[in-house]
Amino acid sequence: MPVRNTPQKTLESWKQIAAYLDRSERTVRRWEANEGLPVHRREHEKQDTVFAFRHEIEVWTRLRTKCSGLAANEAESLPSVNPATNAYLVEHDAITCTMHLYIAAARAGDGDLMRPAFHPSATISGYCQGVEYSGSVEHVFQWITQNGPAPNINPRFARIEIIESIAVVSLEVQRWSGKLAGANARASDVFTLLKCNGEWKITHKLFHWHDQ
Amino acid sequence: MNKSEYLTEYDGILKTIQMYIDGSKQGKSELMRPAFHPDASFFGYAGEQIAIGTQFLFNWIDNNGPAPNIEPRVVNVDIVDSIAIVRLEVAGWSGNLAGSGVSMSDLFTLLKTPNGWKIIQKAFHWHASERSVAA
Repeated sequence: MPVRNTPQKTLESWKQIAAYLDRSERTVRRWEANEGLPVHRREHEKQDTVFAFRHEIEVWTRLRTKCSGLAANEAESLPSVNPATNAYLVEHDAITCTMHLYIAAARAGDGDLMRPAFHPSATISGYCQGVEYSGSVEHVFQWITQNGPAPNINPRFARIEIIESIAVVSLEVQRWSGKLAGANARASDVFTLLKCNGEWKITHKLFHWHDQ
Repeated sequence: MNKSEYLTEYDGILKTIQMYIDGSKQGKSELMRPAFHPDASFFGYAGEQIAIGTQFLFNWIDNNGPAPNIEPRVVNVDIVDSIAIVRLEVAGWSGNLAGSGVSMSDLFTLLKTPNGWKIIQKAFHWHASERSVAA
């Protein structure tokens, strides 16, 4: 039986996340803001609390090492889940890891940070304020940078569907803010991903901005 | 979106997908071209090679020729306002390039335009036939 619901599978505070990664709280907060460390939030009336899944953190660590070019084979050597029984989970984690790069860059307002999440030939399409738009993914990077920080975005994975080498991710994002997004805007995005040389890359972003 | 609006959009989306199916079956890209947005993209692996661009798809369809026995199944449709996802499973592919008895999984994303729903991307996964896997 695969071990799925082990105790302590989540880290429940910045302190625990920092301890798990053996870094300071300041460093892991920076990694979340700038490098896509997958940290989740629970909404409360006064202040949100953070938590993280150990398996997501491990995938992130693995991909980050790989992206840095330090150890090309790292991804194959580390997984603790059995790929034969948990193949879906391995792919699911890798896909959400790619998506967290997008989310972290959107939050930080730095388009360059999300580049590694995309295939070089990726494109975007959709409607913004009633005008149809399509073009190179470079426009996303520019838009994100020009928009600036959107610290309160609230992304939800509404759906992830994986078929061997291809996948779609429906991402619902509330509380968009920034110079271009305005205040408290909402977007529905559909990302298509392709597994290229073992890494999931976004090949297309389809978006719908909801009228306020 | 209420039920009747949803069904209207659903029908429009299926009509577009049917053009893709008709073109595949007859081996004529001209039948499916109107289903695609002018800026549509196409991604997937054909064997070890990555295939990019709708022109690759249209050439492939024309060169493959008729595939009269394909069994297309729309297994999922997801609509959010002006955008949609369709998962299509096609078994029984045949033709000059496809060989025989192979199947393909497609993820289409569509955009609602003034001219109806258009495919903006097709991502595909080609399932090797059981025979070639065993070989």
